[in-house]
Amino acid sequence: MKSNRFILTFVSVLTLLILVLTACATPTTPPTTQAPAVPTNTQPPAPVIPTNTQPPPPTAVPTKMPTAAPVTIRYWHTHSDAEAAQLDKVIAAFEATNPGITIEPTRYAYSDFKTALLTAISSGDVPDVVRMDIVWVPEFANQGALVQLDGTLPDFETIISDVFPGPLATNKWNGHYYGLPLDTNTQVLLWNKSRFEAASIANPPATMDEFVQDACKLTDAANNQYGYAEGGTYFWAPAPIFYTMGGKVTDEGITTATGYINGPESVAVFTLLKDLNDRGCLSPNLLGGGIATDAGHAEGIYGMIIDGPWMVDIYKNNYPDFQVNFAPIPTGPNGTTSSVVGGEDVVILEGSKNQEAAMKWAAYLLSPDAQKMMAAVGQMPVLTTLIGDSSLPPYFAVFQEQLKTAQARVPHPRWSDMDNAINNAYQRILRGDQTVQVALDQAATEINALITGP
Amino acid sequence: MKTRRGYSDLIPAVFFLLPGLVLFLLFFFGPMVYSLRISFFNWKIVHPDQSVFIGLRNYLRALSDPIFQRAVMNTSAYTVITVTVKLVLGLAVALLLNQTIPGRTFFRVAYYLPVITSWVIVSLLFEYMFNGQAGLINYFLKNILHLIPKNVLWFADPILTLVPIVLLDIWKGVGWAAIIFLAGMQSIPVELHEAARVDGANSGAQLRFVTLPLLRPTLVYLVVVLVIGGLNAYIPFQLMTNGGDPLDLTHSVLTLMYEATFSRIDFGYGAAISYLLTIFVFFISVIELRLMRRRVT
Repeated sequence: MKSNRFILTFVSVLTLLILVLTACATPTTPPTTQAPAVPTNTQPPAPVIPTNTQPPPPTAVPTKMPTAAPVTIRYWHTHSDAEAAQLDKVIAAFEATNPGITIEPTRYAYSDFKTALLTAISSGDVPDVVRMDIVWVPEFANQGALVQLDGTLPDFETIISDVFPGPLATNKWNGHYYGLPLDTNTQVLLWNKSRFEAASIANPPATMDEFVQDACKLTDAANNQYGYAEGGTYFWAPAPIFYTMGGKVTDEGITTATGYINGPESVAVFTLLKDLNDRGCLSPNLLGGGIATDAGHAEGIYGMIIDGPWMVDIYKNNYPDFQVNFAPIPTGPNGTTSSVVGGEDVVILEGSKNQEAAMKWAAYLLSPDAQKMMAAVGQMPVLTTLIGDSSLPPYFAVFQEQLKTAQARVPHPRWSDMDNAINNAYQRILRGDQTVQVALDQAATEINALITGP
Repeated sequence: MKTRRGYSDLIPAVFFLLPGLVLFLLFFFGPMVYSLRISFFNWKIVHPDQSVFIGLRNYLRALSDPIFQRAVMNTSAYTVITVTVKLVLGLAVALLLNQTIPGRTFFRVAYYLPVITSWVIVSLLFEYMFNGQAGLINYFLKNILHLIPKNVLWFADPILTLVPIVLLDIWKGVGWAAIIFLAGMQSIPVELHEAARVDGANSGAQLRFVTLPLLRPTLVYLVVVLVIGGLNAYIPFQLMTNGGDPLDLTHSVLTLMYEATFSRIDFGYGAAISYLLTIFVFFISVIELRLMRRRVT
C-alpha cells in the first residue's frame, strides 16, 4: 500500500514537473529568438553600408546610429495567392532601397481578419502596418487604434495630391486622415453579349431607362432567365445605381439621414428596383439562397450584373471560355454616371514601435513603382498620374473612368449598422412589407440614431 | 475496505489534478470572469481603461432587443425540435441496431458517419441542396413529386430557412444519440430480459417495462447534453443564414453574439448576450435534471 502511494506521488510530481517545465519553455523561446536577433541585426549595418557604394555615409553613421538602427516592420494583409507573390517583389524592392528596414508580411483570410486585428489590438502586441478594407478605417480610427497621418507622415500633402479623391475620402474621420488609399476598385456593368444578341440588343444600355427596358427584354422567367441580378440586398449591391440616380445616405457632414436616404432621389432608386422585381426582370436570388451572380452571368442566366475588376480573374479560372464585357454604369436622370468606391487602405497602428519606418513603408506602397507592380496582378492603382499608363491591364480603363465619378460610402464608425438598416429596408420593399417611402423613412430614423448615438 | 482517507491520500490526487486545473483556470475560468466584467461596461477594446461602467444596461438592452428575442425563439424552437426528433429516431435506430441483424456493423458505422463529417462542409452541401433556383430539393418537390407549383426560395423566408438547418442537425445527430442509447442498452443485464420473457412479456412489454426504465440515466444524459448543444448552435446558422439573413430574423443566440462582438466591435453587448445564454442553459439544465432524476428506481 505504502509503496503504491509513493509511486503515485512520484509519478504525479513528475507529470507536473514536465508540464511546468514545458510550459516555461514557451515563454523563454521568444527572448532567445529575439536575443540573437538584436546582435545579428546590429552587426550587418557596418558591412552593409560600405557595399551600398555610398562612401559619405560612414561618417554620418555614428551620429545617426539611434535612428538608423535596423527595424522589422510587421505588415498584415489579406492578399490573394498571386497578389501575395507579387507583394514579395515589392518588399524586395523596398528593402533594397531602405537598408536596415525588414518587412515581415503576414497574410490572413478576409473573414478572420477583423477578429485577428482586434485580438492583436486588445493584447497590445500590434502589427505596424495593416492593409484593411476601406470601410473599416473610421471604425478602427474611432477606437483610437490608428495613427493620425496628416501632420505626422512626411510629405503627406504631396502624396495625397496624386491620389483619386474618392478612395482618399475613405481615410478621413473627424477631420483627420488615418490611412492612405492603397488600391481601389469600383463596380461597372457586365453584359452577356450572346444574351444581348439573342434578344436583338446591339449595345449595352447607356441610360437607366434603356437599362430597365433591356433588363425586361432579356428576361424569360419560364426558362429561369433574368435580365438583371444583384448578389444580395446589402448596400454594395444596388450602390452603383443608387449613386448614379443621385441617391444619398446622409448629408456631407454626416449629421442627418433625413431628406437623404428617404429623399426623392433615393426613393426613385428603390422604386425602380422594386418595379424591376415586380415585373420579374430582377432575379429573386437577391432575397437569399439563389444562383450566385458570377456563375449565373457566365451561364447566361443573368443578362446583366454589376461587379468589380476581380471578375476577370474569377472567370479566367472558372469559365475560361466566357468573354467578359464591361460597360459604364448607365447614366441617371441628370445624364451622369456614378458608382461606389471599394478597395483597401494602408494604416499604421497606434502602438507600433517603429512608426518612422512604418511610414516609409506605407509611403512606398503609394509610389508609382509599387502601384504598377501590384497592378500587374489586378490591384487597381490609386494614383491619378497612372491613368492611361501603358503597363496597366487594358480592362482597367473602364474602371478608371468610372472611378472619376464613383462615390465613397459614408465614412462613419457605425457604417456596418447603417448598411444593415438600408439592407433591411430594401428587403421589406422587395417583399412588399412596406412601401418604398415608409421603408426608407424607417431607415432614416435608424441611421439618425446611429449618428447621434453613443 | 477503506472508508476514511487521510490527507496524505489527497496529495497524489491534487498533483494529478493540478495540471488540468491550472489549464482550466487559465484558459476557461479566467476568460469567463473577464468577460463577465466586460459585460458590465461599454467596453473599449483598444483602451480598456477608458471603458465606461454601465451596470446592467447591456443586459437590459439585450432583453428589450427584438432581434435578440427572435434569436432566442429561433434557438429554442431549433433545440426543442431537433432534440425531440433525435431522441425518438436515435432510440429507434438503437433498438434496430441492438438486434442480431445481418450487416449490423455496417449499419452502426453508416449511422455514425454523419456525426464525424465536418459541420462546415455539410452546411454548405445543404445550402446547395436547398438552393432556391437550382437546388436538388426544389427539383425533387417540383419536377418529380409535383408537390409545389414553383421553386421555393428557402433562404429568403425566415421560417423556411430553419428547415434545412433543423434537418441538417437531425441527420448529423441521430447517429450519436443512437450510439449512446445502444451503449445504455448493452449495459442492461440479459437476465432481466430473460426473466421478463419467462413471466410472459412480449417484446413490446419488455421494451416498456425493462429497457426504457433502465435507459433512464442514459436518457437524462442525452437530454442534458443535446439541449446544451442545441442552445449553442452556431455553425449551421452562421453559414446558411450569413448571420441573420433575411432581416435579422434567423439569428441563433450565438450568431448574434458573434456579430455584436466581432462585426460591430460591441464587446460589452456580446459578453452580456453570452452570459444571458449561460444563465439560461444553467437553469434549463437544473430543471431537466430535477424533472428527470425524480424516482430513479
